[in-house]
Amino acid sequence: MKQFLPFTSRISSIVILLFISIAFVQAFGQSKPVTVSGKIIDEVGKPIAGITVVQKGGKIGTISNEEGVYMISVAADAVLVFSAISFESQEIPVSNRSVLNVSMQPSNKLLNEVVVVGYGTQSKRAVTGSVASVGFKQFQDRSFSNVTQALAGQIAGVNISQSQGAPGVSPIIRIRGISSISAGTNPLFVVDGVPLENFNLNMINPQDIESIEVLKDASSAAIYGSRGASGVIIITTKLGKPGKTTISAGYEYGVQQVTRKVKMMDAQQWINYYVDAHNNAWVDLNPAVNKATDPNSARTTPYKIPDEFITNPQQFGKGTDWQDVMFRTAPSHNAQLSVSGGTEKTQFMFSGAYLGQDAVLDENYYKRLAIRSNIRHTVSDKFSIGLNLGTTVIFDRTDGTQGKSDVVSLALQSDPIFPKYNENGNIGYRDPNSVLYKYINYNDLNLWHPYSLTRYIHKQNKSFNTLATAFGEYKIMDGLKFRSSISANLANTRYNSYRIKNQGYGYSSLLPAEGNQQTSYMLNWLTENTLNFDRQFGDHTLNVLAGYTVQMQRDEFGSVTSGSFPNDLVETLNAGVVTGGSTFATEWSMISYLARAQYNFQNKYFLTAAIRRDGSSRFGKNTRWGYFPSVSAGWLVSDEQFLRDINFVNTLKLRVSYGMAGNNQIPNYGSVSTMNASNYVSGVNLANGLTIANIANTNLKWERTTQFNVGVDLKVLNNRISLSADYYNSITKDMLLNVPVPDISGFSTQLTNIGKMRNHGIELNLNTKNTTGKLGWTTDFNFSANRNKVLQLGPGNASIVYTDFVVAVKTEVGQPISNFYGYVVDGIFKNKSEVDSYPHAATTKPGDPRIKDVNGDGKITVDDRTTLGNYQPNFTAGITNTFTYKGFDFSFMLQGVFGGEIVNQNYRYSGFWNNGRNMYAGVDNRWRSESSPGDGKHFRATLGLTGLQDQFHSLWVEDATFVRIKNIRISYALPASLLTKTPFRSARLFVNAENVFLFSKYTNYDPENTTYNATSFSGNSNGLNASGNAPNGAFIGVDYGSYPIPRVITTGLKVDF
Amino acid sequence: MKTIKPIITALLLTVFATGCKESFLELTPISNATADNFKSKDDFELAVNAAYASLYTIYHPESAVSYVNEQMSDNALIYNISGIQADKWQFKDYSLSTPNTMVYQFWQEYYKAIFNANIVLNKIEGASLDATYKDGVKAQMLFLRGLYYFNMVRIWGDLPIVTTPLTGEESYAVLRSPQSAVYDQIKKDLQYAADKLPLASANTLAGRATKGTAQTLLGKVYLTLGDKAGAATVLKEVVSSNQYSLLPTYASLWGPNAKNTKESIFEVQFLGGSASAPFSKYYQMYYPITAILGFIGGGMNLITDDLYNEFETNDPRRDQTIALGYTNAGVFTAQKFTVKWTHTGSTIVNGNPLANNNFMVLRYADVLLMLAEATGDASYLNQVRTRAGLPKYGETGYPTAKYTTLDLAIEHERRMELAIEFHRWFDLKRTNRAIAVLAPKGKAIAENKLLLPIPQVVRSQNPAVTQNTGY
Repeated sequence: MKQFLPFTSRISSIVILLFISIAFVQAFGQSKPVTVSGKIIDEVGKPIAGITVVQKGGKIGTISNEEGVYMISVAADAVLVFSAISFESQEIPVSNRSVLNVSMQPSNKLLNEVVVVGYGTQSKRAVTGSVASVGFKQFQDRSFSNVTQALAGQIAGVNISQSQGAPGVSPIIRIRGISSISAGTNPLFVVDGVPLENFNLNMINPQDIESIEVLKDASSAAIYGSRGASGVIIITTKLGKPGKTTISAGYEYGVQQVTRKVKMMDAQQWINYYVDAHNNAWVDLNPAVNKATDPNSARTTPYKIPDEFITNPQQFGKGTDWQDVMFRTAPSHNAQLSVSGGTEKTQFMFSGAYLGQDAVLDENYYKRLAIRSNIRHTVSDKFSIGLNLGTTVIFDRTDGTQGKSDVVSLALQSDPIFPKYNENGNIGYRDPNSVLYKYINYNDLNLWHPYSLTRYIHKQNKSFNTLATAFGEYKIMDGLKFRSSISANLANTRYNSYRIKNQGYGYSSLLPAEGNQQTSYMLNWLTENTLNFDRQFGDHTLNVLAGYTVQMQRDEFGSVTSGSFPNDLVETLNAGVVTGGSTFATEWSMISYLARAQYNFQNKYFLTAAIRRDGSSRFGKNTRWGYFPSVSAGWLVSDEQFLRDINFVNTLKLRVSYGMAGNNQIPNYGSVSTMNASNYVSGVNLANGLTIANIANTNLKWERTTQFNVGVDLKVLNNRISLSADYYNSITKDMLLNVPVPDISGFSTQLTNIGKMRNHGIELNLNTKNTTGKLGWTTDFNFSANRNKVLQLGPGNASIVYTDFVVAVKTEVGQPISNFYGYVVDGIFKNKSEVDSYPHAATTKPGDPRIKDVNGDGKITVDDRTTLGNYQPNFTAGITNTFTYKGFDFSFMLQGVFGGEIVNQNYRYSGFWNNGRNMYAGVDNRWRSESSPGDGKHFRATLGLTGLQDQFHSLWVEDATFVRIKNIRISYALPASLLTKTPFRSARLFVNAENVFLFSKYTNYDPENTTYNATSFSGNSNGLNASGNAPNGAFIGVDYGSYPIPRVITTGLKVDF
Repeated sequence: MKTIKPIITALLLTVFATGCKESFLELTPISNATADNFKSKDDFELAVNAAYASLYTIYHPESAVSYVNEQMSDNALIYNISGIQADKWQFKDYSLSTPNTMVYQFWQEYYKAIFNANIVLNKIEGASLDATYKDGVKAQMLFLRGLYYFNMVRIWGDLPIVTTPLTGEESYAVLRSPQSAVYDQIKKDLQYAADKLPLASANTLAGRATKGTAQTLLGKVYLTLGDKAGAATVLKEVVSSNQYSLLPTYASLWGPNAKNTKESIFEVQFLGGSASAPFSKYYQMYYPITAILGFIGGGMNLITDDLYNEFETNDPRRDQTIALGYTNAGVFTAQKFTVKWTHTGSTIVNGNPLANNNFMVLRYADVLLMLAEATGDASYLNQVRTRAGLPKYGETGYPTAKYTTLDLAIEHERRMELAIEFHRWFDLKRTNRAIAVLAPKGKAIAENKLLLPIPQVVRSQNPAVTQNTGY
C-alpha cells in the first residue's frame, strides 16, 4: 500500500492538468448560419424521435423530438449527419435549403452494429476475432440476478451451468473448454472497462446493462494479456440518449418451486432395509450360530434393531419426506426505476432497483438494492468527462450450497421415521423429555432436521459493493484522443451467525451455542491511460491504440468466534466468551502496457494486431513480465465485385486469427515459499513455531494459451438466413501445475510451469427469419463441440489422481482432464457359484457387486480401476424460437447438453448402507436372495460392506445428458392507440418462466448441479472445497447433494414515461 | 497552443510510465512469513518449535504408531462395523494394500516431519550464532530425526534416508537404503543428541528432549537390534543419572494436569482450553462413537476383551486404563475404551473437547522394563510391579503358570503397564513374538505382514522405489 499515496497524487496532478487544458480550448468560428428544420420518419412513415442531427465536422447538433421534428442552425454549405443506433446514418448537404425531410432506413445489417472490444469499440463488420455480443433486449425479461445466467445455452462455445440453484449463486462459465488443471479457470470480467478477476456479477443489476460481449478467441482476449486465457466477458452499462428524458418503471412478481424431487425411501421401505441390513450382517458374523430371527437380547450392540421396527413398523406410516419440510414455494419481487436521457452535451442514466426474493429453502432469502448513476458530459469539443458509479447492497442468507454436510444433502440422508415435530414441539429425538429419546441408543439412526440448520441457526450475510469509474477524454487533434480513467471497486462483506444451543435436538449431536462473525474487505483500484489514433486516408482506415494501466488489489479477512453463551437471549458475540479469531490480508499488483493497430482497406480487408505486456506481483522475480501478441484478419468477400451480383448472398465474411493469452490465476504469493504457524507447547505456555508451507519457485510464470481461430459469417436470402461458424484450436503451454514431487522432499507438490493441453472445437450460430410480415417467426440455433486433451504433464508424464471423499478423478496424457476413475460394476452376484466363478475380493458374498476384472489378471485389485466418464459434454446446443404478432411476443428456448457424465457423490450416503442413512427409493429393488435378485443394480443390504460397494465405481457415475425447456416468455406491448390516453409512452406486460422442464435420467435434482466449483483463489466460491492439494475445478461435475435449480415463473409490467 | 497539448499529454504519459517501478510489483506476503528468515536465535526457536510440533502428527491418536501398535496388535479395535472406513480397517485385518490412503498419509507425515528437522539442521550450519547454541539446536533436531526414522524403520523396513532438504528433482535420486544403514543413521543421530543434550535437571524448556531422552531411545534402538549389552549400558546410565523415578501410584501418571513428571522422559506437550491452541485429541478420538458428552467420540482404539482380560484381577492399572462402557439416561452401553487421557469437563468448542492431557512417548517404567529385558534381571521388572501393588515376579501370588519365563513376564508386564501407549506391536516384533502371539488370536499375520507396504503413489511417482515382499 505504500505505493498507493504517491500514486494518487500523480493521478490528481494529471486530472488538474487536464482541467487546465480545457481553458485553452476555443470555440471556432462559423460561416453565415441558416436555420434548417424538417421531419424524420422511418421506413413505414412513422416519425422517429431521438435521431441525432449534427453538422459534419462541427460541434453543433440537436435531436429530433417526439414528432420526429428537428431544427438546427448551421452554415448554408454545411453537411448534416443524421444518425441513431439501429438506423443507417445519412449525410445530406444543406445546399441552402431551410426544410429538409429525411427518411431513415433501419440498419438491419448486423455487421454495421458496434461491438465492445477491449479498450474500445469496433463495428461488427470489422471484427476479425471471435466475439459474441448480446444486447439488452435478449435478456430484459429474464428473472436472474446475475446476467450471465440469462446467457446459458445462448452462445456457442460458452458453457454456462448453474451449479447450485440458490439465489445469488453465480454460474460456472467455461469458454471454449477448460485450459488449466491447477490454476483458476473463470473468465475475466470487464465491467465498464475495469478488468476484475472473479467478480461477482450479482453486483450489477441486469436491467442496467446495455450489452454483454464475450471475447472467445485468444486474439480478441490477448489485449487482456495474462488474464485472457479463459476468455473475457465485457459488461457495458447503459447511458441515456439525447432527447426526451425517459422514465422507465417495472415491477415483477415471481414464484419459485422445486419441481423435481429426489426419490428417497419412505419409512416403510427404509425400515425394511434397516432390518434386512442388520439381520444379514448378524448372520454373516457367525453364520453357523446366528439367525435372522435372533432377538436383540441375543445380539451385540451394532446388530440390535428397535423393537417396533419388527413388531409394528406400520405405526410410522410413510414417515416424513424431508424434502417437503425444507422446500417451499417462494415468492420474489423485483422493482425497477430508471431515468435516462440527456442532451448532445450531457447524457445520463440513473437507476435504482430492489430485488426481494425468498429462496425455496426454508428461511433463506436474497435481497438486493442496486443504485447506479452513469453520466457523460462534453465539456468542449475537445474534452469530455464521465463517471459510472454503481452501488449494490445484498442481504442474504444462503444455506445448502455446500453439499455433503449442508442442509440439502443432510435432509436427503435423514431417516424418514422421525416426525417433523416431536410431542414437545422440539424437532428431534435427542430431546431427553421425548418418547423418541430411546432412539439415542442406536448409533445408526440419523436425523439432521433441516430446521436444526435453518431455524436453530440464525445467520445473515451482508455485502456492499461499489464500482466507480471516472474518466476524461481529450481530443489532442483530429483523430487523436487521449483517455485517462481511474476506477475503484470497493467490496465489504459481513457475515454473522448464531447457533442456538442444542439446535432443538434436531441435529446429529447436541452442540453448545456458538456465535461467529466474518468480515471481508476488498479494494481494487485501476488507472488506465490510453491514446487512440483513428484516421482515414482514402481507402485506408487506421486505428491505433496505445495504453498503460496499473492495477492493484488488497483483500482483508477477519473472523471471530464466541462460545460459552449463558443462554440464547443475546446472540451477539459479547454475550459469550471469545474462543477464536483471526485476520489476514493479501495483495496483488499489475502493470501493463498495451498496443493495438486496426487497419482496413476499402472497409473490405481487415487486419488487427495487438500486443500487451503484463508485469504481475504473483510471479517469480525473473519471470514476472510477459508479452501477449495477437494478429487477426478478415475479408468481406461479399463486397468483392464477383459477388456483388450474386443477389442471394448478402454478406460473406472470412475471419482468421491467432493470438496468445495468459492465465495468472494462482494464489497471490504462489511463487514465494511462505511459512505457516505451527505452534508447540512448553509446559503451560504456547511456544510459537513457524513451518515452511511450500517450496519456492522464483521462475514461476504465466500459463500461456495460443489459439488459432478461423470463422465465416454468411447472410443470404435478404438477410433471412445468417450463419456464423468458427473452428478453433488452442494449445495451453507452461501449465501452472501443482506437480507431484516425491514426498520424501517433505512436500507432495510444487507449483511449476509444466505440461500442455489442447482444446479444439467448432461453433455454429444459425439465425433464420422464417416468416416476415404480420406474424414474425425467427429461430436462433447454436451448436458447439469442444474436445479437450492433455498432451503433456510433469516428469515422466505421471498421471495426476485427485481423490475427495472416495471419488477419484484422473488426469492423464492423451485423455481429457479429470476423468472419473474407479471400478466397473458389472452386475450383481446372484449366488455363491457365480461369486466363485468370477474374480472377486476375498470377502465378497452373493448380492455384492460384481467388479469387472478390467486388466484380466484374475484378481480384483486397484489396477482394475478405469475411466468411468468425464463431465465435459460431447456437444451442447440451444434453440430459441420467437414469434411476434402485433404487440405479442412469444418465445421458447430449449437447451441441450449431450454426452457428459456426472458423479452422484451422495451415492456414498444413500446408495449402499452407510450407517443407517436414508436410501434412494431404487434400493428397495435390491438383491434379497437368489430367487429375488432385484434389478441387478442394487446390492444386498448389510452393515458390513464386503464387496467394494463403498469404493468409487460405475454406479456412482450417471449420464449427464439433458434437454431442458430453459425459458418460455410471452409479452404484450400495449398498442399506441391505447397508450395515448395514458401518461405512458410504452407499456408491456410479460410472463417469463425459467427452467420449465428438465428431461434427464439423473437420480439427484439436476445434472447441472456440481458441488465443487471452478478453481478460484479469490476466496468467494460457493460450494464445497476439495481437500488437500486438489483444485476444486478438478471435481466439477461431482454432485455431493447440491441445491436444486427451481422453476421460476415471473410476471411483470414495464412502462416508459 | 495546438502543438503544446500533445506534448503535455506525452509528458503525462511518461510520468506514469516511469512512476511505477518494478518495486510496485514486489509484494511480500502480508500474513505469512517468508522462508528467508533463518538468522537470529528467535528465528531458530520458531523453527525448532515447528519441528517439535510435528510430534502432533507423528503421535496423533490416529497416527501410524497408533495403528500399528494397537490396531495391528491384540490391544484395540476400531468402530463396530466396517463401512466407509475400509482403509482404517485394513490394519487390524492385516489386509493392507498399496493404495491404502492411511499408509500414504503416514509416509507423507514422517517425511514432512523429517523435513522440518532437516531444514533447521541445514540452516543452523551457516548461521552466525554461538557454537553451544548451535550444538544444542542440532542435538534437538537429531533426536527428533532419530526418533522418526526409528519408528519408520520398524514400520516400513528399508527407507530412503533423507538428511538434508531436497528439491523435487533431487528426491527422485534418493532410493531405499537397507535397514542396517537406516539404523546406523539413527544411532549416529541419537548418539550426537545424547552427547550434547542437557540433563533433565538442566533443561529449561519443558517438553524438550534431554540427554536421558536420547539415551532411553538409544537403549531401545540397541535392544531392537539385539544388542542387549549396549542397551543395558546406556539404559543404566539413564537410571544412574538420578533424573527419573517411578511415580508413587500408577493413577498419578494420568489426568489433564499430570505433566512432565519425574517419571516422564519424553512427552508430547498439549494445551487444552482454547480451540486455537494445540489441544489434546486422545480423549475424544478414543471415546466410543456417541454424542452423550456433547462431542462425538472417535471410536478409535476401543479396547479388546483380550487386553482387558490379561490384567490380573487385582491389578489396579486395569481400571485406570479401561472403562467398561458408558451410561446414557440410565441405559448402559457396554463398550470398553481407554480412560488414560480422559479430561472430564474440558471445554467443548465446535464439537471438540479441548483436553489438556500430554502424551508420554518414553517414561521411566519403560526404561526399567527394557533393562529387565536387556539384563535378565527381574528386579527392574519388580519395581514396576511393586508400584502397581502387585506381587513380584518369582514371589507368591505371581501368575507363574501363565508367564512361565522372565521373557513372558516382561511381555505381559509391558502390555499391562504401557497399554495403548503405542508400544505393543513394536515390542512383539522386537522379541520376535508377533506371529506366535497374534496368529492364535485370529490375526491374519505372517512374516511378510510385519512391514507395511510402500504406498502405491510413491512407487508410481518414482518406479525405482522398491516394494516390500508380499505387497
